[in-house]
Amino acid sequence: MQNPALRKRLGQGAEVLATLAVIFFVLFPLAWIALASLKNEVDVYSTRLFFQPTLDNFRAIFSHPVNLGPKVWVSALVSFTTVAIAIPLAAAAAYVISRHRFRGRDLVFVAILATQFVPAVVVAIPFFALFRSAGLIDTPWALVIVYLSFTLPYAIWMLRGFFDALPVEIEEAAYIDGCNELQTLRYVTVPLVMPGILVSAVFAFISAWNEFFFALILTRSDSVTLPVGIQTITGVRGPMWEQLAAGGMIVMVPILVMSLFIRRYFVQGITVGALK
Amino acid sequence: MAIVQKSSNSLAEEANKPTRNPLRWVLLLPALLVIAVTVIYPLLSSFVTSFREWRLIYSPRPGGFVGLENYVRAFSDAGFLNSLQVSALYVLLSVSLSLMLGLAIALLLSKPTRLNIFVRALLIFPFAVAPILKGFSWRFMLNPEYGVYAQMIGAVIPPLKDYLWLGNEFSALLSIAMSEVWGWAPLFALMFIGALGSIPSELTEAARVDGATGWQIFWKITLPLLAPVIYIVALLKIISSLKMFDQVVIMTGGGPGDSTQTLYYYVYQIAFRNLDMGYASAVSWILVLVMGLFAFLYVRTLLGGRH
Repeated sequence: MQNPALRKRLGQGAEVLATLAVIFFVLFPLAWIALASLKNEVDVYSTRLFFQPTLDNFRAIFSHPVNLGPKVWVSALVSFTTVAIAIPLAAAAAYVISRHRFRGRDLVFVAILATQFVPAVVVAIPFFALFRSAGLIDTPWALVIVYLSFTLPYAIWMLRGFFDALPVEIEEAAYIDGCNELQTLRYVTVPLVMPGILVSAVFAFISAWNEFFFALILTRSDSVTLPVGIQTITGVRGPMWEQLAAGGMIVMVPILVMSLFIRRYFVQGITVGALK
Repeated sequence: MAIVQKSSNSLAEEANKPTRNPLRWVLLLPALLVIAVTVIYPLLSSFVTSFREWRLIYSPRPGGFVGLENYVRAFSDAGFLNSLQVSALYVLLSVSLSLMLGLAIALLLSKPTRLNIFVRALLIFPFAVAPILKGFSWRFMLNPEYGVYAQMIGAVIPPLKDYLWLGNEFSALLSIAMSEVWGWAPLFALMFIGALGSIPSELTEAARVDGATGWQIFWKITLPLLAPVIYIVALLKIISSLKMFDQVVIMTGGGPGDSTQTLYYYVYQIAFRNLDMGYASAVSWILVLVMGLFAFLYVRTLLGGRH
């Protein structure tokens, strides 16, 4: 290649092609789920982009035998309850770790971080036996209890970062104006850190909503969650892909919408182990 | 990393007054209590169980202590040794592929053009998708009969036409790894783009003026400067890969043979299929120790500035 201008243009062309390949790599599996959910049981096996779209799959998964309705309810109940317990507790603890100085503070914080890395399977073994004796297997409460084991530690870690990022001068001004600590916390600190609380709540919701391992072990029929429910969408010849994709859309779409809201914090959230 | 921040101390001094102490514990204790019940208790409980005989089919209560027998048994158990090997290979595959692909995407999108900024916004989506959906979509697309990816690979490399990706030992593990890499590589790319932005452009300009080629600049300047970030994300990915379970269930069920039985999947089998809780506790504690090592390195690196 003698001509530098031509060479530069070829380079740019290659870059655009590579960028298109990245877009394809990132979006294609999502696009497949979206398209397959609208196809009938014949079209789902063809790669044609033009087909007669149908909502039959969505009708099918909400009726017998798949019956996804109750599973959506359990998933929502378990995820919201987990968030509603974990986030206020985490915010309170993170505030103390960020703002107070006391002996053993760093030890408490590092101990909380360490629990973030305890594998779920270790938590599952004793709880499985315990829930079996207590008759809690196949109840939403069993799931909420174990989901706290992975949402709470990460949320404390993440929220501590948000509290630390808040300048203390604002709170000091409130103290000077005569507020006590509880009033300052309620009227100054919490409102200011609210975006961080919401971001942590969304992360906790996503990880509970997507969770599979605990739900597989601890549920049988009544409290089956969405992820465990959709893997049972099979016919005589293996998975019924078009219905599975429709179920997949119900798992996926709320999460994709939510992740748009926490876009700016995504990398930060993953770094503290918010999602795995 | 934005997580590591300086803590503020002036208010903290003030808050150290004894009058404020009750509030501190009221706020801190509930969270600590829940962590103690949901993490510390099961952790200690399975540690104790790991020294006992306990088959849940026969008894809801743990049996007698057997010393180190469960641990000794693990290292003569072909299934366990196999799962160690599978997990090691899986970690190697998924970490190296995520790093290489993530780095390539980051370099490609590092210039802040309008197109690149748009594509960067898309990069978070795969990670947020539920692991079981990652498994299902990749399983479908790798099907040689109707899967788009299998057909594309077959078109480019004719000998791989009709290749059963999930039916052969190595490629099944590779396929599981790819379903994870799909989520992680774009996220790594975002982290690397952030780090690339902090490399002063004078550095690469000067090298270019001195006649360095793009390749030399990458190896001698970019890569060494990215090394700390690469180290952190690699640790994070190792920890996550040791927990591989969901896609094994969805894509292969551990097969063909036992070639995709990861350590995590193996513990699941012993504990919740065979209900052999004593042995499962021992094997899961081996997993805790392995993960603990990487978690220690990870936390130490992240908090390095503070402690």
